[in-house]
Amino acid sequence: MAAVAAVVSIGQPARTTHVARVVLVLGALVVLGWLMVLPLLAIFAEALQHGLAFYLHAIREPDTLGAVRLTLTVAAIAVPLNMVFGLAAAWSMAYFEFRGKAWLGALIDLPFSISPVVCGMMLILVYGKNGWLGSWLEAHGLQVIFALPGLVLATVLVTLPYVARELIPLMQAQGSDQEEAALTLGASGWQIFFRVTLPRVRWALLQGVLLCNARAMGEFGAVYVVSGHLRGITNTLPLQVDQLSQENFSAAFAVASLLALLTVFTLAIKRLVKWRHGGEWNAND
Amino acid sequence: MGIEISRLRRRFGTFLALDDVSLSIGDGEFVAVLGPSGSGKSSLLRILAGLDQPDAGSVLRDGRDLLALDARRRGVGLVFQHYALFPHMTVAQNVAFGLRVRPWRVRPKAQAIKATVEDLLRRVELEGFVDRYPSQLSGGQRQRVALARALAIEPRLLLLDEPFGALDAQVRVNLRGWLREFHRSLGITTLFVTHDQDEALEMADRVVVMNRGRIEQIGAPEQVYRQPATPFVSRFIARGQRLPGEVRGQHLHLFGHAWRIENFAAADAHEVAVHVRPEDIVPAPVPGDGLTAQLLNLRHVAGSVRASLRVESWDEPLEAEWSERDWARCASAADDRLHVHLQAVTVFAMDRDGRVRLRSIVYPPYANSSIAVGPWRRIEA
Repeated sequence: MAAVAAVVSIGQPARTTHVARVVLVLGALVVLGWLMVLPLLAIFAEALQHGLAFYLHAIREPDTLGAVRLTLTVAAIAVPLNMVFGLAAAWSMAYFEFRGKAWLGALIDLPFSISPVVCGMMLILVYGKNGWLGSWLEAHGLQVIFALPGLVLATVLVTLPYVARELIPLMQAQGSDQEEAALTLGASGWQIFFRVTLPRVRWALLQGVLLCNARAMGEFGAVYVVSGHLRGITNTLPLQVDQLSQENFSAAFAVASLLALLTVFTLAIKRLVKWRHGGEWNAND
Repeated sequence: MGIEISRLRRRFGTFLALDDVSLSIGDGEFVAVLGPSGSGKSSLLRILAGLDQPDAGSVLRDGRDLLALDARRRGVGLVFQHYALFPHMTVAQNVAFGLRVRPWRVRPKAQAIKATVEDLLRRVELEGFVDRYPSQLSGGQRQRVALARALAIEPRLLLLDEPFGALDAQVRVNLRGWLREFHRSLGITTLFVTHDQDEALEMADRVVVMNRGRIEQIGAPEQVYRQPATPFVSRFIARGQRLPGEVRGQHLHLFGHAWRIENFAAADAHEVAVHVRPEDIVPAPVPGDGLTAQLLNLRHVAGSVRASLRVESWDEPLEAEWSERDWARCASAADDRLHVHLQAVTVFAMDRDGRVRLRSIVYPPYANSSIAVGPWRRIEA
């Protein structure tokens, strides 16, 4: 909204621009309020309508606590994995020339465009009981589908592009002059990464990681397919909300509000960091 | 011993960035590589710094293979055109970087690093800027931080990529003299790349002129300017302009005149190029003498006069440059007609492959002038 206002205010301070600014800003506010803020408030209102005691009880239910624990566990594994992957992918896309570079870029974007349900199905096809690796996994006593590894795989797959897509444009725009300077000054590859590259991309990296985390905790489709819906065992928070909504509506809203709180909390951290380090956030040099 | 570069070749796809480039640089020499963009000068620099590898050729430093060392261990200081300072580090941290990243066994103690940094910053006249960040410095100051950072590793070869390319004109001129003196006090072998003729001629001991991946000429600034080896060097360095001349027998035919050329074997010439410099087109001291010229426009620029002329019936306008004094003396400029002499023209004769076989500088005599030798005529060594 601020951006819209800023763009409009570049024009001459004529009456028409003033009107256009008010209309555009109001329009954006109304749409966002209608689609986002109101429903979000409705969830909390619904969750609390039977009082705080009921709310706390619904949340303290062992299955729900299990779901919270599982969701946090999956995110704690998937997000660091994607952070490493995103950094490696962005590094190679920005600093190396190789055949098939355009293909790698397109592949990184693929999870954005494939339906999460299809992502889940793909995993079943490969790791499921009758899948390509199914019999080998079973022979070695490894369970992937309907267990934690499957949930992590599905989450990693769906949230793959978030970190990489934050970093690639930034690193390509910044160029490799500073890395080359560090190299001629005698720095090793790791020294260049930790002392030169990482500090330059830290805010974009943080932004990517937080978005990735929000998405990882909220993922439903792909996880739904590979989870098996075992209460308290393989139900993540979104799945728990889904199951509860078919039995106990108020409890479902309580859990849903918890999930919403987790992601809102994540985004709040992002805003906070951006506010505290606003000057550095977009500083490239 | 210095640096011995021989027969370097580098190709990017179909583009030949370096084509058989050979060059030797003496210890402590200050060499400028001059050429238009795309001439291969930056490729040469990157190969010397170890950021790129040639397809063929060798580089020896004191008889040892430099290309075998990777960029980390080469001991070559490189200053980038846009400085490439680390924006999240202070000036002191930037300068200390090359010392801090050394393996701990050969890393100087913190106190020693601090002393070195202070010494370097004093040398580049930035003592008070230790705790500033690069974003708080002006262009010229960033340039000097980049220089101090490159010098911290005690390089045996210093490479500067368009050192003044990103600075405004005033700062650029000031820094030129400063860098020249700085080099003299350090004595490090230095190679700098530029597309600015003035910069190269003013600063370097020797100038290497490059075009399309090839070296066109290597020589002292004065030599490259007075005796360009090829039509390209003549155009690029001396602002040489083409004239409609041709050589028949032992004579140069130009604007209806014929002048004798000494030691010119026309048999070698497949193609001839005749060039004249702006300052060699001078107003005739006697009215009605010399070649007729039409004045197309006239600009007064900082003590000199630049004129576009149509000489005789030659279609291409010629640029002439005179001092204000010469211009004032030539009173015939009341209307847009005047008469000019060509003081010196350079004749290049090329063979079938376009290689320059012969070069001759002709001083057309002032045939109709009462003064046999013009007052402006230069005496060549």
